[in-house]
Amino acid sequence: MSEHLISFGGNVVALGYDLDERLLQWDVLRLKMVHGVPEEFTRDEWAYLVTFLDRINLMEMFIRSFGPRAGGGVTVSALFRARGPIAIWLPNNVTLLGPLALVLCSFTNAPIRIKTGSRSHDLCQAFISYALEHLPQGKLRDYLSKQVTERFDRNDPRNQTMAAEASVRIVFGSDATIRAIHSLPNPVHSVGISFADHRSEAWVEIAALDDAAITALIKVFTIYGQAGCTSPRRVVVIDGTRADCEWLRGKMMALWPKQEVAMHISSQNILHRQLAAAAGWDAQTGPRNGAVLGVGSLETGEMNGLMSLALVPATAQEAVVALPTNIQTIGHCLTDASAPAWLSLVARTSIKRWVPVREMHHFGAVWDGYNFWRHLFEEVAIHS
Amino acid sequence: MSKLLDRPPFAERDEEALLRELNDLSRWHLEGCDAYRAVWPRFTKAHSLAELPFLHVGVFKERIWRTGGEGITHQRMLKSSSTSGISSQIALDARSGAFQAQSSAAILKDSLGVDRSPLLILDHVKSLQQRGEVSARVTAAMSLRPLSTELHFLLRQSDAAESVDWELLRDICSKNSRLLVYGFTWMLWVAWVQGAIPEDVRAALQKMEVHFVHSGGWKKLEAAKVNREQFDRELLRIVGPGSDVLDFYGLVEQVGIIYPLCEAGYRHVPRWAAVLVRDPWTMQTLSDRQGVLQLMNTLAFGAPYHNVLTEDLGRVIEGPCQCGRSGQRFELSGRIPRTEVRGCANV
Repeated sequence: MSEHLISFGGNVVALGYDLDERLLQWDVLRLKMVHGVPEEFTRDEWAYLVTFLDRINLMEMFIRSFGPRAGGGVTVSALFRARGPIAIWLPNNVTLLGPLALVLCSFTNAPIRIKTGSRSHDLCQAFISYALEHLPQGKLRDYLSKQVTERFDRNDPRNQTMAAEASVRIVFGSDATIRAIHSLPNPVHSVGISFADHRSEAWVEIAALDDAAITALIKVFTIYGQAGCTSPRRVVVIDGTRADCEWLRGKMMALWPKQEVAMHISSQNILHRQLAAAAGWDAQTGPRNGAVLGVGSLETGEMNGLMSLALVPATAQEAVVALPTNIQTIGHCLTDASAPAWLSLVARTSIKRWVPVREMHHFGAVWDGYNFWRHLFEEVAIHS
Repeated sequence: MSKLLDRPPFAERDEEALLRELNDLSRWHLEGCDAYRAVWPRFTKAHSLAELPFLHVGVFKERIWRTGGEGITHQRMLKSSSTSGISSQIALDARSGAFQAQSSAAILKDSLGVDRSPLLILDHVKSLQQRGEVSARVTAAMSLRPLSTELHFLLRQSDAAESVDWELLRDICSKNSRLLVYGFTWMLWVAWVQGAIPEDVRAALQKMEVHFVHSGGWKKLEAAKVNREQFDRELLRIVGPGSDVLDFYGLVEQVGIIYPLCEAGYRHVPRWAAVLVRDPWTMQTLSDRQGVLQLMNTLAFGAPYHNVLTEDLGRVIEGPCQCGRSGQRFELSGRIPRTEVRGCANV
């Protein structure tokens, strides 16, 4: 069996499969996905998966982790090979991250065992079923047909089996869940990768906001509301005023998508508008009670509620001071987000991702502060 | 205030007086409750019931609401039972309590008559003795007190419906021919239908006139595939002639107002209360169409729970009811359906 050694600069990765063929097969699936949305997925989720499976996006994961793809003549300094079986624990309300994690892990060619939430829709199995139905015969199809997704609760003994048999444990969930899983008996040389509960914000400047930017802001919020750890819970209008926030809210209300709102979401938004108002927010519900947009200040506290979004004015320094301790992503819409001043400001915080607003949900190799995908491989030092 | 209580609950309605009282009550709460005023900062006067400022029923799970003012002394907290793990908390006060007791007694007398008999409560007596708070179950049971000659708590453990004190029941049966029994719907089912009633007690019950009164919803029994017809039939099979089963709908956030199911299958609104049905998305009021129920009454002074938007669905029915009661009536359809929240963060 060929190791399929692929060179990325001085790094050589032993994949055990033909990378170009695998990328091509994911692309074949992607083109079929464009034709319709399976009932288990929302349109936004499916569109995101289609974008994620783009060949360039997937290849970017390799380049980001190992360097640019290279031909011969480069001195090899490291060899990477997959650590081995991967176990993934998804919490109850994580859905799309299941298929995304599956796709990323598929490039290790290692066996994957996925535990989905006992109360959530299993989008992971739905995606595998779709892939098996639509992929032509080939190695990717064979590989996916052998991967296991299971649904059980936190007390099920299968949690222990998963932990005991995996070389890599990937756990999404609360701090308590992550601690519980990693404390299960596991192989000494196994690796634990944790994706804990995080929060994200959008930092915007009024001068950088046109209708397209505001629409993108609405879109990243509406997919999951506050249930997405990469969704903005708060929009900070940098160097803005309360009037700027009110202007932005007005624009957002006008551009808000005319879409169906579940009855209980509408009801909950009426509730959360009232609670926000009682707590000092100038809160309004959006069209068909689809969201709650509140204008206040950093001192007003938090606006809670699945579809509640706070808009506050602040200087960049004030925004840094007010960052939550579990900050993950800052989605920026600034006149010059690449200015050195921003980079040095980010350096002083625990921000994990600094990306344009429209890329806030883009899951990739680098997540929660490190290149977790590279960690799926072990590194062999090579000095020839 | 609450002059409307001076007449029977289903006597002719005085909509003008009701709107006037509810306007006054809303202003009372706006003056005495900062949080309520923050929710409705621009309210001055409503020209219709639909314009009156309401609170979503869920706000009472998230914070304690109190209205201060002359003559208001807050007492215990009324706590709802909860299937979600978070209870609503209502700050009770003496002034409202008097109106609420008067209201519930009047409504129940209309359904159950004025004859008094021993009241058997499917609960443990310690539920009465919790310091600083009172449960929805005890409050509902106590609303029957004006119709009772004596009170008995039937359970040996408060939440164990199967822990009925059959000795106590045997003793009560030996001294009476008519009983009033209150319990949460699922508890009545577990205690009386599924319970291991001793043969001699069963024989005694067969000769008794028993009026079962239950509330608290059907969620648990729906899960057990028990419907209302089956529930009523099985309960009445145990007891003697003249017995009946009364299902009432009520919320801790509308304490004092109860909505018994009438003989024709509807719920009638007393003249000191009102029901609106709203479109869930536009909040427009609906007539003769299903929507979200909004309940209001003129009884609550200690906190702004006089006007609440519920999470229940229903429909106001126009025209006279076969049961003969006048005024507003409605049909209760169930809870707002819920769908899964997707994402990855704790919210």
